[in-house]
Amino acid sequence: MKRILVVDDEESIRLLYKEELEEEGFVVEVARDGLEALQRLPLFKPDLITLDIKMPGLNGIETLKRIRETERQIPIVMCSAYGEYKQDLTTWASDAYVVKCADLTELKNTIRRLLGVL
Amino acid sequence: MSAHPDGYALLKEIIDFSASSLPIETKLEKILQCITDGFQSDRSLHLRPEAILKDGFLSRVAEEKKPLWVDEERPFQEEGVLAEERDLLCPAFGCIPLSDEISFQGIFYIGFSKGRTFSSSEIELLLLLAKEIGATIRNDQLHRVAEDHERRVRQFSTLWELNKALLTTVHFERIVHMTLTAITIGDGLGFNRAMLFLVDEKGHVVKGTMAVGPNSAEEAGKIWSALSQRKGNPSELVAQLESSTENHSILNSIVKEIEVPLEHEQCILSRTVLEGRPFNIRLSFEGEEWVQTRCERGCALSSEVGCYVSEHLSRNPKIYAFATIPLWGKGKVIGVILVDNLFNRNPITDEDIRYLTMFSSQAGLAIENALLYRNLEEVHQELKEAQTFLVHQEKMAALGELSTSIAHEIRNPLVSIGGFARRLDRTLPADASEKRYTRTIVKEVERVENILSHILTYTQDEAICVKTLDLREVMEESLSMISEGLRNGGIQLVKTFSEQTPAVKGDYYQLKQAFFNLVSNAYESMRGEGRLSIRIHPYKKNGASFVGVEVEDTGGGIDPEALHHIFNPFYTTKDNRLGLGLPIIHKVVTSHQGQIEVDNHPGSGATFILTFPAQEEKEK
Repeated sequence: MKRILVVDDEESIRLLYKEELEEEGFVVEVARDGLEALQRLPLFKPDLITLDIKMPGLNGIETLKRIRETERQIPIVMCSAYGEYKQDLTTWASDAYVVKCADLTELKNTIRRLLGVL
Repeated sequence: MSAHPDGYALLKEIIDFSASSLPIETKLEKILQCITDGFQSDRSLHLRPEAILKDGFLSRVAEEKKPLWVDEERPFQEEGVLAEERDLLCPAFGCIPLSDEISFQGIFYIGFSKGRTFSSSEIELLLLLAKEIGATIRNDQLHRVAEDHERRVRQFSTLWELNKALLTTVHFERIVHMTLTAITIGDGLGFNRAMLFLVDEKGHVVKGTMAVGPNSAEEAGKIWSALSQRKGNPSELVAQLESSTENHSILNSIVKEIEVPLEHEQCILSRTVLEGRPFNIRLSFEGEEWVQTRCERGCALSSEVGCYVSEHLSRNPKIYAFATIPLWGKGKVIGVILVDNLFNRNPITDEDIRYLTMFSSQAGLAIENALLYRNLEEVHQELKEAQTFLVHQEKMAALGELSTSIAHEIRNPLVSIGGFARRLDRTLPADASEKRYTRTIVKEVERVENILSHILTYTQDEAICVKTLDLREVMEESLSMISEGLRNGGIQLVKTFSEQTPAVKGDYYQLKQAFFNLVSNAYESMRGEGRLSIRIHPYKKNGASFVGVEVEDTGGGIDPEALHHIFNPFYTTKDNRLGLGLPIIHKVVTSHQGQIEVDNHPGSGATFILTFPAQEEKEK
């Protein structure tokens, strides 16, 4: 079973993503900011990370950099209400960029594609 | 005494001729003939002052101011007679100096080939006649001086009137037109045509600015006869002419094309500017004395302007006279006035040039002032535009910042609301009545999300991804995005796409979005019935190539009240609309260095005209 770490500062989003992704058959853990995500990384060993950009403390972009210092292989999906970082981040270090939307179809499809489970 | 002339009859005859309006040469000829006939002499002459040679016997007569009589009783002392004067010596002759206290008009001479004696009454009569001849000549001279003065007074009054007229305006075109007209109207300088060239300091060239004058001799005739019927002083005439002539003459357009670099030192226009002096030039291809050295382009003027002159300005280059006068601003030459008499061939005199120079120094200051004023106006206008643009930019920036942060803040809760509503919806049995509520939440959240993405498209400065595009293809793509519902009504679509449409540089997705907005607006305005015409065509403006995209609908046009606001964000007349459709089009078009215009016909329809600069040929 593939493991996903959801990083978002909003509790309702964390809950929604967790329930929806678990329903899809993934093992999901959540972190409320970048620091917590970095702490959970070695223990949980996720197969994929979804990362919000605007977060207090360590934001998504900083977190992405830190993760990439050690973990070059884990697919990372940036999830944000902002659309403007799309081009930069996908070409630079993340594997996908999904603009947040109530319809999670795009997010789920992206995750399945990156994990190779269709 | 062989003949005894009737003194009174002779005197009367002579006075009649003297008082006649004949030219002075004819008058004198007739008077002398009368005297010759009356006295039955061999000849009588008027010897002009300049014809009297120094140190001869005639000069002695002139100096002494005393008549000389030679006859059988009064022999001639042949001393100091010049060879040239021998011809005048005959058996009997008289020389009477024509002079008063102030002036000397020469000598009256009467000669007889046969010996005779002058009686005292004959001498008296001849002295009287000589006095009359002198008076005739003096009168003529005075008359000429008076005429000359009168002309000067007329010229000065024109100058004065023009000056007054020039003070009434600072409008550049009007001042230039007035000046050139004053040069060409009869009471002013009366030249056939006048042209103004101004120095462009940035480009270091002399540029044709305006010309006034008829296109042909026929037209010239018409204008002159019309002018002679007009009453009023020159400034009124100038004002009348100004209001009645739209300056669309062929000459005006030819002159506007002329541009001579100041480096062309051979050119008369450049020389007039550089040397700051007038040139009075007469060209004749036959008369050797007027032919100038040929310039490289082979015209007879040693100048570039000669090429223009002989090719364009003159239809008969065999004889062509023109003059150039520098136009002085404050301490420098700001332009050149070129005048000619192409149609009536009147010669241009040095007097004309002097007067024109005086005239141009007045006009020069007025024109310079007008130029400064025009520059001021232009700068003012630019500043105003820049200010409006900045205010708009600032508004947009503020709006952008605000809406971006709002959009972000709203998006997160929306994801939760919409996401959980979906989960709820899935858990409800298909026949549950609550299903209606969850569906509504899902749908409404979707709508709000759409609005947000619209706002973000408008406010975010998305990087333009520039490619070479065919706007016809972009338009076809946009048309294919129009929903079935809109397309399947009673709307007739007429596409006119020119084969010669050049390519344009731009962002495919942005342009597609803009065209889509434009076309769907047009469809919606027609409510299922009407005609939608889309035209794409190339066109040229000021030598540059553009592509025009026109979308014309029959949807009743735009309310004139609303017209000023249609490009303002969030302005809408439709329900359930955000009002960002046209602002997005506007933003996309301007970011592509294009322009958008609306041709609005309230009650019938509207045409949106978009223009984009075409990609230059060499870039392809």
